[in-house]
Amino acid sequence: MARIKKKGTSGNAKNFITRTQAVRKLQVSLADFRRLCIFKGIYPREPRNKKKANKGSTAPTTFYYTKDIQYLLHEPVLHKFREHKAFAKKLQKALGRGEYGDAKRLEENSKPRVTLDHLVKERYPSFTDALRDLDDALSLLFLFANLPTNHNLPAATVSNCQRICNEWQHYVIRAQVLRKSFLSIKGIYYQAEIQGQDVLWLVPYKFAQTVPADVDFRIMHTFVEFYTTLLGFVMFKLYTNEGLVYPPKFDEEADARGAGLRAFRLENKSIAALPEAEEQTKRQQREFNKRVATLNISAIAENGEADKEEEETQPTEEQPDENIDAFAPATTKAADVLPQPGAAVATTDSDSDSSKPENLFGAFTFFLSRESPREPLEFLLRSFGCKRIGWDAVLGDGSFTDNESDPSITHQIVDRPPLNKVTLPESQTAAIPFSAGGRVPGRVYVQPQYIWDCVNAGRLLAPADYAPGALLPPHLSPWVKVAEGAYDPTAPLDEQDEGSEEEEAEDDDNGMTEDLEEGSDDDVEMEDSGIADEEDEEDEESDDEEEEQRRQYQAELEAEAKGEKPVAEAPTKKKSKKTKEQREEEERREMQKIMMTKKKRKLYEKMIYGNKKKEDEAENLRKKKRKLEKEKKRAAA
Amino acid sequence: MPRPTSTLQRKRKLPTAPLPPAKSTVVPTADSDDEEFGNGLLDASFSDDSDSDADVEDQDEEDGEDEEDEENDETSDSDASADEFPELEDDEESAVDSDEIPSEGENNDDDGEVDASGRKIVLDSAGNPRYIYPEVNPVYDSDDSDREQKNTIGNIDLSLYDEYPHVGYDINGKKIMRPAKGKALDALLDQIDIPKGWTGMLDKNTGGDLKLTQKELEILRKIQMDEVAQDGYDPYAPTIEYFTSKTEVMPLSAAPEPKRRFIPSKHEQKRIMKIVRAIREGRIVPNKPKEPEQPKYYDIWADNAPERPDHVMHIPAPKLPPPTHDESYNPPEEYLPTEEEKKKWEDEDPEDREKDYLPRKHKALRLVPGYDKFINERFERCLDLYLAPRVRRNKLNIDPESLLPKLPSPQDLRPFPTTTATVYRGHEGRVRALSVDPNGIWLATGGDDGTVRVWEILTGREVWGLKLADEPVNSVKWRPVKETGILAAAAGDDLFLITPPIFSPQTEELSRQVLEHGFGAAAVTASTTTNGEPKKEPPAKWARPITTSHLAHVTVQITVRHTIKHIAWHRRGDYLATVSPEGQNRAVCIHHLPRHSSQLPFRKSKGIVQRVEFHPSRPILFVATQRYVRIYDLAASTLSKTLMPGARWISSFDVHPGGDNVIVGSYDKRLLWHDMELSTKPYRTLRYHEKAIRSVSYHKGGRPLFASASDDGTVQVFHGMVYADMLENPLLVPLKVLKGHKVTKALGVLDIEWHPKECWLFSAGADGTARLWN
Repeated sequence: MARIKKKGTSGNAKNFITRTQAVRKLQVSLADFRRLCIFKGIYPREPRNKKKANKGSTAPTTFYYTKDIQYLLHEPVLHKFREHKAFAKKLQKALGRGEYGDAKRLEENSKPRVTLDHLVKERYPSFTDALRDLDDALSLLFLFANLPTNHNLPAATVSNCQRICNEWQHYVIRAQVLRKSFLSIKGIYYQAEIQGQDVLWLVPYKFAQTVPADVDFRIMHTFVEFYTTLLGFVMFKLYTNEGLVYPPKFDEEADARGAGLRAFRLENKSIAALPEAEEQTKRQQREFNKRVATLNISAIAENGEADKEEEETQPTEEQPDENIDAFAPATTKAADVLPQPGAAVATTDSDSDSSKPENLFGAFTFFLSRESPREPLEFLLRSFGCKRIGWDAVLGDGSFTDNESDPSITHQIVDRPPLNKVTLPESQTAAIPFSAGGRVPGRVYVQPQYIWDCVNAGRLLAPADYAPGALLPPHLSPWVKVAEGAYDPTAPLDEQDEGSEEEEAEDDDNGMTEDLEEGSDDDVEMEDSGIADEEDEEDEESDDEEEEQRRQYQAELEAEAKGEKPVAEAPTKKKSKKTKEQREEEERREMQKIMMTKKKRKLYEKMIYGNKKKEDEAENLRKKKRKLEKEKKRAAA
Repeated sequence: MPRPTSTLQRKRKLPTAPLPPAKSTVVPTADSDDEEFGNGLLDASFSDDSDSDADVEDQDEEDGEDEEDEENDETSDSDASADEFPELEDDEESAVDSDEIPSEGENNDDDGEVDASGRKIVLDSAGNPRYIYPEVNPVYDSDDSDREQKNTIGNIDLSLYDEYPHVGYDINGKKIMRPAKGKALDALLDQIDIPKGWTGMLDKNTGGDLKLTQKELEILRKIQMDEVAQDGYDPYAPTIEYFTSKTEVMPLSAAPEPKRRFIPSKHEQKRIMKIVRAIREGRIVPNKPKEPEQPKYYDIWADNAPERPDHVMHIPAPKLPPPTHDESYNPPEEYLPTEEEKKKWEDEDPEDREKDYLPRKHKALRLVPGYDKFINERFERCLDLYLAPRVRRNKLNIDPESLLPKLPSPQDLRPFPTTTATVYRGHEGRVRALSVDPNGIWLATGGDDGTVRVWEILTGREVWGLKLADEPVNSVKWRPVKETGILAAAAGDDLFLITPPIFSPQTEELSRQVLEHGFGAAAVTASTTTNGEPKKEPPAKWARPITTSHLAHVTVQITVRHTIKHIAWHRRGDYLATVSPEGQNRAVCIHHLPRHSSQLPFRKSKGIVQRVEFHPSRPILFVATQRYVRIYDLAASTLSKTLMPGARWISSFDVHPGGDNVIVGSYDKRLLWHDMELSTKPYRTLRYHEKAIRSVSYHKGGRPLFASASDDGTVQVFHGMVYADMLENPLLVPLKVLKGHKVTKALGVLDIEWHPKECWLFSAGADGTARLWN
């Protein structure tokens, strides 16, 4: 006979360990355990059978995977914690005795420092793994970069976060990996695609953050500690792959003058360029050469023009990385003109679309008015190929030009209501070639949303919709994929579905303008005749339906006798017909459900519930849209 | 060097000064030894003095003769050697003296000739020559006369010599004789007074007693006591203080302190000034705060580890979903919440909200305010990352319709009742029971008003009615024989057998005869048993009702002791079973119609009996208690099987006309299909009614239909096909929910029955109507 298996020696009972047990086993405080878990990325689990995992108790408990905790037992960080505990005791003793010199010396010399390098490698064995997990890291670091410092939050942490964020942005600009961006009420979402991995992060708007009292900053700080290490290594790898030196040179003075991104100076790796990076550059070079070879002779003239412009702009530009990849601007110029000669012939500067979405704004010179948000615009424009961005001196240092009247500016981003002619002082108008309304003729004035919509669309949109003071088209999330039956705000209502006619009829009843009602009535009649035909067929089919009809008819008669409107007859009849069909279907389904097992029935009901909720949401949106459209029509009339 | 010079002199002298032989014989050896010794001393100590050379040489002349005698074995002539004989003899004689026992061999030795080199040649026992060398006379340097006298037998076991007088051989091959032992008395005396140093041990070397000296004994004791064996070592010697503990008051030197001790060092000042200058120039920064260590970054993924598949137990944190349209700062207007939605959102608990924000629309980007819950949201995310239990859930991406079982369409299983054809109105209060007559023409109902009514099925006309009692009529059942028209109705304790006046006179007459035939038989049995033992009280009283006007058509009235709730006819119509649940062991009573007799089949109650039914073809009785359905074999009068439906309280059950399947309805909303061939547990458990099931019924006329009636006012019709093939399970298909009865006072449909031939269903409702469904 096989040996009787002892209870609690395998499976759930063995695989899971409660938090209390884990803390006791590791002999650390709960706070240390928390830090350890955050660093190591250990998280609680939900055992399949809680009762078995907790020795028969069903009390709510947190469970950890036993092996996770076992690995923790010989974690170097844990030893550091213990060392720190000993150090803290020494320090406390010194302070208690009033030996401040000793305490200081201790603090300086023998404070154990935790390094998390090995954890990065351990948690993310391959680089792709690390890229996959960047979302939260970036969002948190961008938040910390925008937080005010206080006793909870040392200035060093904030500046470190700012540095990392800026370095990250530099990489994104340089590698041209930004794909999408979205202005939400929470902040600005960006999505970059690095080595096939989508990285989505959220940057808050530049406002003083309200620091709530119920947030434990120690936890966030622990996360930040790990994430800074992680991003350091990730960026080292990314920079190296790009052939750049990490960390880039940081100019503190420029930063103090508000240069932002421009305070960093990217350096090329002179000798020790990675072989992959070299290969990449070679490939790019080859591509470029190919493109040059196929260059149209007719386009060359324009090219020359553009090059001239380029030459003009080059000296003023103080961007260091310009010198490194000298071919890049040429590529953009060439690419601008090449693929669609028609467009190139028409206009060289404004509407010519670039071949690649990465060089969307490559041909333009932007000027940011002082009320527009500089950082996101600068980041976005540079990520999509724009080299010349000027802004008002108020917005900080490092702009392409401070002069709003610079003739090279093609686009100006304005985020203020249009001014009256009267408000403009006389002297200004005389000095600068501004036309009426403070506009420079030939320059495109757009609101900031234009940039985002262009980026998400992957092409240049008509700027007329985004003119200053115009009612902006709705800004939509680029990540929503319209599923079947879901509401699509871009598609016109009629296309979406016909099943919602019913509601329309309902709305009609509620009270509409005369002409509309007529139209809807026609529809109803048409359908009525169809139903009559069906009825005839059904009579032959089944007696019970006939009975049903008869009863309904009777009910209607009764209702009529009571004095209800005969006008309402048609729609109600139609509705009842609908509901009857539905009811039959429902009844059939109910019947089938009788024969289902309990488990399957529960699952089925859950799915139905979920689907219905989605449908209801979509339907609700459609209904609102319909109402809005009607109101608009009425207003127009 | 003195010594070599002297020897050289002697050697030089040898030929010059021949030895006077007489002199050498006179001088005794002992004297010469002494002289020699004395000379040696002199020689050693005063050889430096050249003045005394002559004296020394003179004396040396005399010495030289001795030396020559001894040394010149190889150099001296044959004549010189002759002088030595007497000496040798002397030696031998003394040796013999000491040995006491002279040996022959030694004497024989004397006979041997002496060859040129001075050795004696003797013949040994084998006749070979044997050389015996003369005793070597060592020079005085090699004198070892003071060495320990030890015998040289070596490490040989003495026991080997037990038989011999000697114990070994000396260096010359001479026997070493065993030391003399005393007589037995001496031994005894030795034992009595132990001599000094006696150990009782045997000296291995000598074979005699081992004696240890006092010194040796002391060493042994010390070794034994773990003390230092060395003689004269005192472990407790007083310590010698190298430095005194007393301080000397007076200085060693009375010199005054030198001046340099009071003057600052110039050298030191130089060095200090160097540092001061460095500090002033800023080359040295004192107490400079430590630079915070810059983290070192390197290519941690340099090894290019291939991507491993995740561990089974590793669940990566799910990414946050990307934002939707309604999160936009400028969403389409339809995404904005209405006033109601806004209010609802605000009223909701923050935890219950589906979205943590309300969509808002801003005209321009500059008008967008900061998001006040940004930190909270990031914090929540952090908490989720390390605190939220993770579980892997499989997302089913299937059409929910695919989960529905594949069943034949109800349309293909027609006919079955779908609508109300006739409503039988007339009863006041609930209609409790109904029954269709075996010909399928009349419907009998019994209600709470105490009446039994008979209706024409097709027209719904009430043909006949009779008020039986003030109590409700709990059950009505037609006798299942087509030739007669007998209706059994139970009201209170009484069971009435009625012949309604709706049939042809012949039928009516026949029915009356069937019922009344028993009166005679009962009288006969009564008369036969009167003479016997005191008559037991019968379980039921059979009587002819008082023929008042209103009970004119009741032929027989049977009274039992408890309220009858249910009647079941045997298929031939001779037997009739009644159930009165309160009756304990009298709960089931079987009445025999031809004889007007009743009997109680069970001596003991096994729970509250709910229903009884007869098997449609065999002598088997089904009895349903609250939990179980027991099957009794009437022929063998044994319990043959117990079905365990698993329901809490069985309300009703019915037996399939085939006899192998049973459906059980229960008050806990379940319908259970039992295949008795399969198991005592149900084949299918169906739970679809919202309220208790009151009644279940099979179609008995050859159609695969059954139905259940519930308190929720509905009747559910099923297709229930039982195959002749034993291997095939019954096929159950729900067909139709019949809704029509109103629920009054939480009661819906109370009883159902199928038409004997058609697929018509009759139902009795608590709303006072009975309905025909077709």
